[in-house]
Amino acid sequence: MARSHVDEAALYDRQIRLWGFDAQTRMRNATVLVLRLRGTACEVIKNIVLAGIGTLKILDDAEVTELDLGAGFFYREEDVGKKRVDAAIPRISALNPLVNIVSLSSPLDLSDDSLHALFLNIDLVCATDYDRPTLEKLDEACRKQGKQFYAGGTLGSYGYAFCDLGEHSYVSQDKTKPNAPQIRKTFKYASLSTALKASWSHLSKRDTKELNPEVVFSILAVWEYSARHGVMPNSYDTVHELQAIANELLGAAQVNKLVLKAMPEKHVELLATTAPYEISPVCAVLGGFLAQDMLKAIGGREAPMANLFTFDGMGGGGTVCRLGMKGAV
Amino acid sequence: MGRDAHARAILGDELCSQLANTRVLLVGAGGIGCELLKTLLLTGFGHITLLDLDTIDLSNLNRQFLFRKKDVKQSKALVAAEAAGPFNPACKIEPIHADIFEPRFDLAWFSGFDIVLNALDNLGARLHVNKMCISANIPLVESGTAGYMGQVQPIVKDRSECFACMPKETPKTFPVCTIRSTPSTPIHCIVWAKSYLFGKLFGESEDDEAEFAEALKNGENPNEIAELRVEAAAFTKIRSSLNSPKAPALVFDKIYNADIKRLLGMEDMWKSRTQPVPLEYTAIRSGTFVIPERKKPGTQKAMNVVVNGHSNGKKAVNGSGTADSAGGLKDRKALSLEDNVELFASSVQRLAKRQAATSQPLSFDKDDDDALDFVTATANLRAICYGIQTKTRWEVKEMAGNIIPAIATTNAMISGLIVLQALHLLKKSYDRMRSVYVRTKPTAPLGVSTMAPPNPYCAVCRDVYVPFPCNPEIAVLGDVLRAIGIAKAEDEDDDNDEEMNGAEEGKVMREAYVYEGNRLLFEPEMGENAKKTLAYMGVTWGKSLTIMDYDGKVVNLVLVLLPLPPDHGADAKPFVMPSTLPTLPARPPPSAPSAPPTPAKPTLKRSAPEDDELIDDTRAIKRIRTEGGAVKAPAEKETTIREENGVLILDDDEEDNVIELD
Repeated sequence: MARSHVDEAALYDRQIRLWGFDAQTRMRNATVLVLRLRGTACEVIKNIVLAGIGTLKILDDAEVTELDLGAGFFYREEDVGKKRVDAAIPRISALNPLVNIVSLSSPLDLSDDSLHALFLNIDLVCATDYDRPTLEKLDEACRKQGKQFYAGGTLGSYGYAFCDLGEHSYVSQDKTKPNAPQIRKTFKYASLSTALKASWSHLSKRDTKELNPEVVFSILAVWEYSARHGVMPNSYDTVHELQAIANELLGAAQVNKLVLKAMPEKHVELLATTAPYEISPVCAVLGGFLAQDMLKAIGGREAPMANLFTFDGMGGGGTVCRLGMKGAV
Repeated sequence: MGRDAHARAILGDELCSQLANTRVLLVGAGGIGCELLKTLLLTGFGHITLLDLDTIDLSNLNRQFLFRKKDVKQSKALVAAEAAGPFNPACKIEPIHADIFEPRFDLAWFSGFDIVLNALDNLGARLHVNKMCISANIPLVESGTAGYMGQVQPIVKDRSECFACMPKETPKTFPVCTIRSTPSTPIHCIVWAKSYLFGKLFGESEDDEAEFAEALKNGENPNEIAELRVEAAAFTKIRSSLNSPKAPALVFDKIYNADIKRLLGMEDMWKSRTQPVPLEYTAIRSGTFVIPERKKPGTQKAMNVVVNGHSNGKKAVNGSGTADSAGGLKDRKALSLEDNVELFASSVQRLAKRQAATSQPLSFDKDDDDALDFVTATANLRAICYGIQTKTRWEVKEMAGNIIPAIATTNAMISGLIVLQALHLLKKSYDRMRSVYVRTKPTAPLGVSTMAPPNPYCAVCRDVYVPFPCNPEIAVLGDVLRAIGIAKAEDEDDDNDEEMNGAEEGKVMREAYVYEGNRLLFEPEMGENAKKTLAYMGVTWGKSLTIMDYDGKVVNLVLVLLPLPPDHGADAKPFVMPSTLPTLPARPPPSAPSAPPTPAKPTLKRSAPEDDELIDDTRAIKRIRTEGGAVKAPAEKETTIREENGVLILDDDEEDNVIELD
C-alpha cells in the first residue's frame, strides 16, 4: 500500500507538481464514462488514462473500419472488422496498468431507464461526436443524476467542446505570485439546451469579436442542419442552407451586428464539405482540451471552461463562450 | 476508402500526396515529440527522421505515451519509432539516438529535409536548430510547453521572426553575498546548499578567488568578501576529515555555528537585517536546544521570531503549508529541527562514504537520494538560522532540480497545433501562418497572433549564409579571406603574396572581423591567424566563419563549412567559393528608437554566459552549451483576437536532465 503510493508519486510526479496530491487523489477515485470511440475519444482516453483516473468505462457498438485508422491510434489494420472497444481495450490498458478499464459494446439506448442504469456509479460522462439532440438528451439525464457532463468532437478541421457541471466548486491559486492564497469558487452551469438559447446581446463589441462568432455559429449551424436532416452536411449543395441557418441563429442570439451582420461563406463552405470527417491534429487539440478540462473538473482544481469551446484548426485559435450561465467569473 | 480518406476530404488530394513525399525532421522524442510523432503518422507524413539524445525515465510515463515501464533507460528515439510505427505502416521512420549538436548534422544534412519540427526542452538546442534552419532556409515550427501553457511558432526565413529575433529571458542569478552571507528566501538557502556547500564538501575542490575578484569588481562589500575568504580556507581542512565519525558534528559546527558567529561579528551587515542565530549540534541532538531570540535590525531589543507558528523551532517548521494533503509520503512531511539534523548527519555520512569508495568528486543530481537529502537538510538548517521558511524534501527537489511540471494534455494540443501550422508551411500558405498560444485565459484558451517580421538587428536570421565546401586541414584563413574580398591585416607579412590565389590587383578589399562562434580569429590589426589553416584554429566541418564588416555597414557573411565534393581534384584549391557571392544587405543604423534590445555587436549574442560573479540559480543545460530559460511570448501584433502579453513559455518537459551548472 505504502509502496504503491510511492510508485504512483514517482510516476505522476510532474503532474502532481502542477495540480497537487488532493486533485490526483480525486482523479484516482473517479469513474469516467466515454461514449463512442472515434478519433477525439481516442485522444481523450489516452490523456485521462495517463493522468491516472480510477476507472474508465467505454461504450461503443461500432466495428473498426479502415476509415477509423486515420485518427484512431488504438486501431491497427488487422483490427478492421473487430468491435472498436475490443480492438482498443488492450492498447488503452497498456498505457497505464493502474487504471481499471471496462467496455460495453451495446448500442447507446437513450431511454430514461437505460441511461439511468448506464450512469450509475459514474462521476463524469464524456459524449464524443454525437448530434445535438442526442447530446441534449444525455445532458438532461446527467443533470437528473448529478453527473458531470462533457460533450466534444470534431467537424473536419473544426472542433467543439461543451460542459455542464451543475453546481461546481473548485480551488485555484495564482501560481505566478509567491504565497498567493488558494481561492475556492462555485459556479452554476447551464444545461446544453438552455445554453443554446442564450442571448449574446449583453456582450460588448470587443467581447463579441474576441469570441469569434463566425466560427461559433458556423458550428452551431452544422448542429442545426444535422438535427433537421438527420445527417451531416456533406456537399457544396448545402452551403446556402448552412449559411441561412447560421444567419437565423445569429439573429435569434442577437449577436452584435457591428461585429457580424451576416455569416460569410468562408467557414460554412469548408464545413459543408468536411464536417463528417476527422483528422488527427484537430482530434489532438480537441482531445487535449477536453481531457484537460475534465481533469480540472474531476480534480476540483482550477476553473473548468464555461461552457462552449470552439476551435478553428486552419485559423489556429480557440475560444470559450459563456452561454446561459448567470454570474461573472 | 482507405485510411487516408478523411485526410483527403479535409486537406485535399494534392496536399495529401505531397505529405506522403515530405521529409520531416522531428527533433525531440519527449513530451511533445511522442505526441507529435503520432499526429504526423496519422496525418500521412511519409518520411520522418526522429532524433533524440535522451533515454526514458519513470517520470516521463505520465505523458510520453509511447513508453512503458519496461522501456525505462532505453533510447527515446528508438522506442518511440518502434511503438508508433504501427500507427501508419506506410510511413518510414528513421530514429537517431544522438545529439543534434554533432557535426555530422550539418548544413547539408539539414538541407535534406522539407520541414523541421522542434520538440525540444532546452534553449541551447532550440537556438541551434533555429540557426541551422535559417542557414539552410528550411521552414521550422518551434514549440514549447510548461504545465498548462504552451506555444507554437512557425518560422520561415525572411517571412517571420526567427527564434533568435527576440531576446530570451536569462537565468536568474543572485549576488554572492546574498547566497553566502545574507539569505532572505528559501531559494537562497537551497542555492547555497546545492551550488556552494555540496561542491565544497563533495565536489571538485576549486579556487574561489576568481569569483571573489569578480564580486569585488562588481561593487560587493569588501569586508564581506574578506570574511568569505576565511570561510573558504576552513573547508579545505574539513574535507580531509569527512570520513571520521565526527564529520557531521565538525561540518555542522563550522557552517551553522562558527561561520554564523563570525558573520554576526560584522555589525555593519546587520544594521538593516535580522540577525541569524547560531545552532548547536550537540544540544539539538540531546534535545536541549532552544532557538535563541533574534535581534531586530537597528535595535538592541530582542524579538521573538516565529517560524511557521512555532517559536522554539522544535516543532515542525514546514514550508509552504499548503492545504494539500501530504498523501502520507515522507517527501511531503514537514521536517522539524531535529529531523533536519538527523537527515543532515546521515546524508553527510552516506555521501562521504560514497566519495571515499570512488575517490571521485560528486555533483548534485536531484534524482540522487543522498544528494537531495543533504541539500534538503542543509538548506533547511540554514533557513532556521536565518528565520526563513523551511521546505519539504518534495519542494526542495522541485526548486533545486528546476523541475517544470508537465502533462500529456498540453503536449497533445501543441502537437496538433504544430501539424496544422506545418500544413500551412508545406502549402506555402504563408499568410495563414500563426503563432498559437495554449494558455489559461478563460475566453480564449488558444490565442493566435500573426507573424512579426524579422528583427532587423537579429544576429541569426539577418546574416547571409553561404555553404563553403573546403578541406580545413589545408585551407588557410588568409586565402579564404582574399577570395571573399577581405583585406589582409596591416601587420601581415607580405612574403607569400605572390603565391596566394585570389589577391587580385586593383580589387577593392574591405576590412572585417572574423569569428568562429564567439571566438575572434582575425581583425585588421591582428592578422597573425591569416597564415594558419582553419583546422589549426579549430574551425572544422559543421562549424562556420562569421565575417563581420569592420565598419558595420553590411550584415554578416557566414561561411558554413562542408566537406568538398568527391570529384574535387586533389591539386585544386582546398575550398570552393561560389562563383558570385551574394550581395550583403546594408545593416540598419544602430539604436533606432523602436529597436528591440539586441547587443550592438551581434557576436556578443553568441558569447558564453558571463556570470562568473554571480551564482547561477535557475537552469543550466544538460548539454552545457548555453543558458536555458524562459522564452517570452512576442509582443502583440495585429492579433485576430486580443493577445495576452507576457505569456511565459518555458522549455518543454525534459526537465529530468536539466541540472545545475555552477
